[in-house]
Amino acid sequence: MQEFLENINWGIIAPLFFIQGLLLIFAILDWAKADNFRGPKWMWFCIIVFINIVGPVVYFLFGRRRN
Amino acid sequence: MMQWMTLFNKEMTENWRNKKWIWVPLVFILLAITDPLSTYYMPQIIDAVGGLPEGTIIEMPEPAPAEVVAMSLGQFSSFGVLIIVLTSMGTIAGEIKNGVAELILVKPVAYKNYISAKWAAHLLLILVAFAVGMFASWYYINLLFGDLSFTSFLFILLFYGTWLLFVVTLSIFYNTFFKTPGLVAFFSILTIVVMSIVTQIFGTYLEWSPNNLSNYIFEMVRADDISSQLVGTSIVTVAISIVLLILSIYIFKTKELIQ
Amino acid sequence: MGLLTAHHLTKSYKEKTAVNNISFTFQKNKCIALIGPNGAGKTTILRILAGILDPTSGAITFQNMEVGSDFRSKIGYLPQYPVFHSWMTGLEFLIYSGRLSNLSKVESRNRAESLLLKVGIEDAKNTLIGKYSGGMKQRLGIAQAIIHKPEILMLDEPVSSLDPIGRREVLTLMGELKEEMTILFSTHILTDADEVSDELLLLRDGEIVESGSMIELREKYQTSSIKLEFQTDLHLYQKKVEKIASTTGSYIERNALYVSATDIQLARREILALVSKENWPLLSFTLNRATLEDMFMKVVNQ
Repeated sequence: MQEFLENINWGIIAPLFFIQGLLLIFAILDWAKADNFRGPKWMWFCIIVFINIVGPVVYFLFGRRRN
Repeated sequence: MMQWMTLFNKEMTENWRNKKWIWVPLVFILLAITDPLSTYYMPQIIDAVGGLPEGTIIEMPEPAPAEVVAMSLGQFSSFGVLIIVLTSMGTIAGEIKNGVAELILVKPVAYKNYISAKWAAHLLLILVAFAVGMFASWYYINLLFGDLSFTSFLFILLFYGTWLLFVVTLSIFYNTFFKTPGLVAFFSILTIVVMSIVTQIFGTYLEWSPNNLSNYIFEMVRADDISSQLVGTSIVTVAISIVLLILSIYIFKTKELIQ
Repeated sequence: MGLLTAHHLTKSYKEKTAVNNISFTFQKNKCIALIGPNGAGKTTILRILAGILDPTSGAITFQNMEVGSDFRSKIGYLPQYPVFHSWMTGLEFLIYSGRLSNLSKVESRNRAESLLLKVGIEDAKNTLIGKYSGGMKQRLGIAQAIIHKPEILMLDEPVSSLDPIGRREVLTLMGELKEEMTILFSTHILTDADEVSDELLLLRDGEIVESGSMIELREKYQTSSIKLEFQTDLHLYQKKVEKIASTTGSYIERNALYVSATDIQLARREILALVSKENWPLLSFTLNRATLEDMFMKVVNQ
C-alpha cells in the first residue's frame, strides 16, 4: 500500500479529488440555503456527503422543488 | 429578437442560480477524466489491492490517444446523455405542469421564441460543459498517453457536439409533447436506446445513423483523417435536430397547454 | 362598438361542455363580474379570452381587429392560483413580465418600481418570490398583469383565497384600477361582485343565465315584500290586507305577515293608511328589499 501511494504522481491525481471536492462543497452550500426539499432535509445531507459524486448530482437533480 | 433575448437571459439566470452552470461542467470533467486516469493507474491499483500472487508481472498495453478519447466519449454517451435529459426534462413540461406557463404565455410571447430560447440556453450549457470536460481529457491524454493535436481536439468538439445537439433537441421535443417531466426523460432515453439497437441490427443500411458518431470520431482520431461517413453522419444529425426543433414549435402551438 | 365581443363561444371536453354557446360584449371602462357557482365555467371563459385556451367553436373579436388576431398585448391576466418563478425577486419578475410584453428595459423598470409601490409590496421587491405570502403573491400577480397597461384586466377569483384584510386591500385596488381600464373578474362571492362591478354576467352550467347592470338586475328581480308584525289576530289582518287592490299575495310565517305587491310604494301607502285609520295594533312595519343574494339564488335555481 505504501509503495502504491508513493508510486502515484499526486500532481496528476489531485485535480480529480479537487473537482469532486468542489462538487461536494457547492452541493452543501446550496443545501444549506435551500428551504424546499423533496423529503427530509437531513436525508439530502447524508446523500450529498456519503455518496461520492453521485450524491451531489442526485441532489442537484432531484433534491429541490422548483416551486 | 429583444423578446428572444429576454427569454434566453431568463434561462441563463435560472441555470446560474440553480447552479447548473457549476455542477454540470464539474460532472462532465469527472466523466471525461475518471476512466482515463483509472486506466492509467490500473497496474498500481491491482498491485496495491494485492489480488495477484507475489511476483506476478502485470502487463497491460498502454491505450492509444484514440482509445482514451473513446473512453471519455463513452461516458458522455451514457451518463452524459442521462444528465442532459434529466437536467432538461422540466424546462418546458415543468413550467406547464406547475402553472408558471399560464402567466408567461398570456403575455404576447411568440411560441417560437419561448421554445428556441430554452433550447439555445440548454444547448449552450451542455456544449460548454462538454468542451470543458473534453479539454480536461485532452490535457491528460497529452500528459499520460501520447500526442493528440489541438486541431483533433477541436474536431472532436465539433462532431460530438452534433450528437449533443441532437440529444438536447430530442429532450426539448418531448418537453412539448408531455406535461410530466418524468415522461419526457423516459421517452428521450427510450428513443436513444431504440435508435442504438436499430443502428446495431441494421448497421449496414444505417451508415449515417447519429448513434455511429462516436465510432467515426474514434476512427478520425486513430487514422487522423476525417471520413466522409463522419461528415455525412454529422450533417444528418444536425438535420434531424433542426426538424425536431421545428416540430417542437409546431406541436407547442397546436397543443392544448392547460386542461 | 364594444371593446371585446365573444361570438358563440363553446368549449367542450370529452365528458362535458364547460362553456356552451356564449356570446357577450364588453364596453370600455366597465367593471364586469362573472359570477356563478363553482364549475359554472368562469375560469374556462377567462382562459379562452386570455388566449391560453382555444374554444372548440366560436370566436372573439377585439375592437376592430380581425378575428383570430393576437390581442394578448391588450390583455392582462391573473389566474386563480398564480405560480411565479420562485427564484426571482418580485422586482425581477415584474421587469421580466414587462420585457415579455415588449416594453423597453427602462420602461419595464420604471413601471415595475411604480407598480410595486402601488400594490404595496415595495418593501419586498428584492425578496425572492419563494418567500412571499399568499396575499403578496396575489398583489404581485395584479402588478404583473397590468405592467403593460392593458385595455382589459382579467382576474380569476382575485380575492377568494385571501383573508379579510387582504380581500379588502385587493378590492380597493380594483376600485382604483377600474378608472384606468376595463376589468373582468370572476367570483362566486356575491358581495365582492356587488361592491366593485358595474355589470354582472351570471353563469350556470356553462351558460349565461342572466346579464345586465346591477341596477337593471335589481329592478328586474326585485320581489320586495312588506313585513308586518302584530300582537294578535294575524289571520284577521291578512284578510284585510288582501282586499287592498295593489297587493298580490300574502303569507304568514313566524308571527309575521308578509305581503307582496306589484307596486310596493303604492301598497305601502295604502297599508299604512289603513293602519292609522283602523288603528291596528301594529308592532313593526318593514320594507324588505331583495338582496343580490336572493336574486342570485333565484336566477341560478331557475
